[in-house]
Amino acid sequence: VTPRDELIRDSPEELFENAPCGYLTTTLDGTIVQVNRTLQTLTGYPRGALVGRRFPELLTVGGRIYYETHYAPLLQMQGWVREIAVDLVVADGTKLPTLVNSVLQRDEDGEPRSIRTVVFEATDRRSYEQELLRARDREHAVAAELQRGLLSGGLPDDPALDLAVSYRPAIAGLEVGGDWYDAFWVGERRVGVVVGDVVGRGIEAAATMGQLRSAVRALASTGLTPGPLLDALDGYARRHEVGQMTTLAYAELDLDSGVLVLACAGHPPPAMTVPDGAATFLWDGRSTPLDAAAQPSPRPESTVTLTPGATIVLFTDGLFERVDRPLQEGLDLVLAELDEHRHEPAATLADAVTDAALAGRRTTDDVCLLALRWSGPPG
Amino acid sequence: MDALSRHNVTVQGPSDGPPIVFAHGFGCDQNMWRFVWPAFADEYRVILFDHVGHGQSDHSAFDPDRYRSLGGYAEDVLTILRALDVHGAVFVGHSVSAMIGALAAVAEPERFSRLVMVGPSPRYIDDDGYKGGFSREDIDGLLESLASNYLGWSGAMAPVIMGNGDRPELGEELTELFCATDPEIAAHFARVTFLSDNRADLTRVPVPTLVLQCSDDVIAPDGVGAYVHEHVPDSTYVQLAATGHCPNLSAPGETTAAIQAFLAPS
Repeated sequence: VTPRDELIRDSPEELFENAPCGYLTTTLDGTIVQVNRTLQTLTGYPRGALVGRRFPELLTVGGRIYYETHYAPLLQMQGWVREIAVDLVVADGTKLPTLVNSVLQRDEDGEPRSIRTVVFEATDRRSYEQELLRARDREHAVAAELQRGLLSGGLPDDPALDLAVSYRPAIAGLEVGGDWYDAFWVGERRVGVVVGDVVGRGIEAAATMGQLRSAVRALASTGLTPGPLLDALDGYARRHEVGQMTTLAYAELDLDSGVLVLACAGHPPPAMTVPDGAATFLWDGRSTPLDAAAQPSPRPESTVTLTPGATIVLFTDGLFERVDRPLQEGLDLVLAELDEHRHEPAATLADAVTDAALAGRRTTDDVCLLALRWSGPPG
Repeated sequence: MDALSRHNVTVQGPSDGPPIVFAHGFGCDQNMWRFVWPAFADEYRVILFDHVGHGQSDHSAFDPDRYRSLGGYAEDVLTILRALDVHGAVFVGHSVSAMIGALAAVAEPERFSRLVMVGPSPRYIDDDGYKGGFSREDIDGLLESLASNYLGWSGAMAPVIMGNGDRPELGEELTELFCATDPEIAAHFARVTFLSDNRADLTRVPVPTLVLQCSDDVIAPDGVGAYVHEHVPDSTYVQLAATGHCPNLSAPGETTAAIQAFLAPS
């Protein structure tokens, strides 16, 4: 008899009692009928203190609710449950993090007969998971803070101008998205507005957004008009390898004449609503996203002369893109809502259109809408 | 999306039969009734649905504000009944849906004929002489349990459940997946459920009601079922031999028999 043969002769009792995991059998209502030695060691309870109790009684109260509302129903429906994280309350009153698997045993007629459960200690794994969760929450908080910081500046204020933004970040739990907006004075009587969407999420997206936002402001201050400004921004994106494939719409409005110059890099077209007509999209002045392979050069821009009371609306794709309907339907809805709210102040209009477009849905993408109304020439 | 697809409503049995609605509670979806409803499908028009955020409902329709209290869920029940033009329904609610059914019946009594409350509790937290069975800290413990168990909610499945249909091959898996719930929605529903207090609504329940009480139910202990029976005006109390909180799964025969006895013409 070699030592190897000795091993193979481990009795079933020995395999059960000293298995490298806690092992127990219960009746269908969870009453413990059999436990192995490992479970006694794990819990510090002798066999006599375990047999006859219901398994959920060994759990924390929160775990017990989880057991009754998730664990037991799943086991009864599918015949097994795996990898459930629960804490056992052990003999000395402390909590023991575990992972638990169960299978439903059936008799010859297929009727459920008993439940077999194995219990693995998971102290280290659980603390590692909690560290990961904490790290994720921390990163989300930092990115959200960064985004908030970048978007919290004041908007230009002028009697000829009614400017408002509606910004809805993606639902909590998801990473911060990359939508941004900005509005600033370009000259004495000129205002620049921008709405953009960078690729990616989280801290990186927030940082990219910050860089592009500063770059647009800096370029605008040199006197570049929207088309050439986007060309220069391409160069910036390429040289510094930042913000490639970002989409944005940039417009400048002369507050004395109402002349609006607009350029759009791969971004949804801005919309215009006027006091006495239907809202339309401004399809001119369009080109490809930032530093995209096949961009036209120079980038085009388009010029529109606003009538007093006209409103220009810049927005990101989260406003109208939805998996369960065609794009055109989403865009049509935006126009219809603009028509309905065109006589309301810019802030009311921005919120109303955003609310209607989202229709109470949770948004998995950021949504940003900027409304700019020109009241007419001074005097 | 209309109410019926939003709630993944399924209708079985004869279309001219008397309507019976089965509502699932916290933790699962309409699968909770899979061993019970077939016994009613010969005679009744059987209506099953998923609460928004559960099962195969439209998860993106979840709005934390609409569902900040059980009233939002009760409003959904009424929306479904209106969409199906149902009046005088038997409403069978498990766990928190027992109270959701009660709230719906209080709001629009003519849509209901009877209420069956399976493991009801109008208030889960102990409160000044009232014994619900839990403390506030216990509920925090449950939220921790939910956070450690993202059942069926891996990154790969989440887009499917959220309705992003660009990976149809996962759709089939989804139908095999019981009780998949967005962790964020589950935590929200847990808070709304376990922190709710609907004791004052019990006396206003306008229809004959059956209270089915399980044995050894930690979620809704005996005393709580007795409290419900005491406060719902026209109520019958039946103690089941079934243990735990889900007799619809652990003792479907006994549960079915108790409901049928209650509905049988006397």
